[in-house]
Amino acid sequence: MKLLLVEDNERVTRFVVKGLQEAGHTVDNADNGREGMFLAASEPYDVIIMDRMLPGQIDGLQIVETLRKSGNRTPILILSALSDVDERIKGLRSGGDDYLTKPFAFGELLARLDALSRRSQGSATQTVLEVGDLRIDLLSRKAMRGERSISLQPREFKLLEYLMRHAGQVVTRTMLLENVWDYHFDPQTNVVDVHISKLRQKIDADFERPLLRTVRNAGYMLTADE
Amino acid sequence: MSKVIRSATFALSFGYIAFGVVALVLFAAPLWYAWQVTVEDGRAEILHADALRLTEVFRHEGAPGLKAFIDARVGMQLPGERILLLTDSSLQRLAGNLPQWPKTVPAQPGTYTVSLDLSGKPTESVVVRTALPGGYNLLVGRDVARFAPLTRHFWTGLGGAVAVLSIVGVLGGVLIRQAILARINSIRQTVLAIVQGDLSHRLPTRRSGDELDTLSRTINGMLDQIEQLVHGIRDVSNSIAHDLRTPLAELRSRLEELSLTRPTTEETFAEIDAAVADVDRVIRIFNALLRLAEIDTGMRRSGFVQVNANELAAEVVEFYVPAAEIKDVTLSFASSGPVSVSGDPTLLAQAVGNLIDNALKYAGERGSVRVEVQTRADGAVVITVADDGPGIPDSEKPKVAQRFYRGDISRGTPGVGLGLSLVQAVAKLHGGTLELADNHPGLRARMIIEPGALLAGRPRSMVMAEPQAVVPGAEKSPAEPMVL
Repeated sequence: MKLLLVEDNERVTRFVVKGLQEAGHTVDNADNGREGMFLAASEPYDVIIMDRMLPGQIDGLQIVETLRKSGNRTPILILSALSDVDERIKGLRSGGDDYLTKPFAFGELLARLDALSRRSQGSATQTVLEVGDLRIDLLSRKAMRGERSISLQPREFKLLEYLMRHAGQVVTRTMLLENVWDYHFDPQTNVVDVHISKLRQKIDADFERPLLRTVRNAGYMLTADE
Repeated sequence: MSKVIRSATFALSFGYIAFGVVALVLFAAPLWYAWQVTVEDGRAEILHADALRLTEVFRHEGAPGLKAFIDARVGMQLPGERILLLTDSSLQRLAGNLPQWPKTVPAQPGTYTVSLDLSGKPTESVVVRTALPGGYNLLVGRDVARFAPLTRHFWTGLGGAVAVLSIVGVLGGVLIRQAILARINSIRQTVLAIVQGDLSHRLPTRRSGDELDTLSRTINGMLDQIEQLVHGIRDVSNSIAHDLRTPLAELRSRLEELSLTRPTTEETFAEIDAAVADVDRVIRIFNALLRLAEIDTGMRRSGFVQVNANELAAEVVEFYVPAAEIKDVTLSFASSGPVSVSGDPTLLAQAVGNLIDNALKYAGERGSVRVEVQTRADGAVVITVADDGPGIPDSEKPKVAQRFYRGDISRGTPGVGLGLSLVQAVAKLHGGTLELADNHPGLRARMIIEPGALLAGRPRSMVMAEPQAVVPGAEKSPAEPMVL
């Protein structure tokens, strides 16, 4: 992926650029609003990572708004130290596609970037999702692994659907909380892990090749690859 | 009394005086105008009628007849009653009480107000000039100066009224000012004491309930809130100092040890992972504090929507069911049907989640946690989370919702000690309370949201329920437990 990082903190920039490059992405970066605006408007990117508070008269939200007004639909992840729910809503309303609060874990950022780039490719219209021999039908709400039908409760189905839509990508606990349960808070205990292990029981327990993997320090990934 | 109080300052009383004067003038002006118009019109009319009569005399009896008539009248009338003058075509006097034709009267027939020389001094007069056949000129007039004293009386009266009004106004203003200044001064003294750091002072209030009193009461309410916030901040800073220092100290010693001992690569990585976990713990505490601060400001109220409390609680319960199963705890949900409250769904879900999380933490092995949503008879929505764990001793109940408070029983369990504080803050934000009662055994935590409380603008603080206290309405609507 080709990414643009607009961020004025040198340390954060170095850390994020290095990490993203190691993950196989190309990263441009700008350390002020003007340059960020210029790059975002002139170069094609897969995802833009935008800090909110920037030097140079233009702040992150203004850049996002301007880009959206000029018809630029590149997915934008807003990065900010402002964590209030109101601020988050403001960020998303200005045209951002996702909002990540500083400080963040790098795995969380990477997972969200992957999800954003996948979203922009537009795979939302499928009615059947398949990962390896696991298959779910979104219309009849049925799940099959090989020849065997798996019975899932509605929330489990939604969880599996989210994982399948992001197959091959790391999905963090926070992403699951936000997208499957629509909860924007920290539930204190590892409730998401418990839901995952329950789901794992149903889809992986009796099969030789597990599909649902735990990614250390990051989250989970559903994949058929070895 | 309250009307007087309302004119709170001197400036205001002056305003009233000005207003009174304007009103007086507005009242006098039409009177003056009516007086002028009516009297003057009447006067001119009489003069016209007089001139007409004299013209008739002239028509019937000719110039000599009129001359004789005028002479007779001048001889009979009181001095100054009527000005009469008959002249020939060359304005030579034939009869009347003016020595000669006055030059100030214009040449055309008509009604004029002119200055006439009457017995040696110029006098303001109204005259009617009539042209008679044969070039004769007739002047009939009236000396207006006779009315001057009346006009003068009018103005003197008006001026007197203004003067009295001003004096009374100024006197009243001074008295009111003194009365109000005395009260304002007492308020000022109190406020000064508060500014100097003693937040326990309150403004004096009376029973009268007038405007100043209402203001004092409102300010006292504000002071209560400020005092509470200041104490809250003090408590929180103490707690933050304690609870953030612990993980930070751990982190510091971990890193320092790493820097000093330079262990093997593998060991180093393990230590770094542990350090990241330490930092995450600090971030978690910070996030929880920020969330609490955000709730305390009350700003979230702007985003309130109608929430089905029943559905919301059911979903949170469903969310925690797998976690309960792992602990072999029965998590059940009961409700008396859909319940609508105005609130913030995220916060309400988090609050219910925290209560369930707590309950699951302390529920015994193979224990049970029961969540209920009910509408009380008075319309309040009650969300109850009851467990059968060790409960909280009565002595600790008032403290558990304090920030960072962790009871003896909770030592060694995960959590940052902000769970119940958040529940309480959320309840307060929604105009409600958090009640902690005994469940015999265990804890029965009740979040009570009163729909009217927010409108009344009096969020209540935490109330400790007696163990015997029974929620009215809860008994009347026995809900069937639904095991999930």
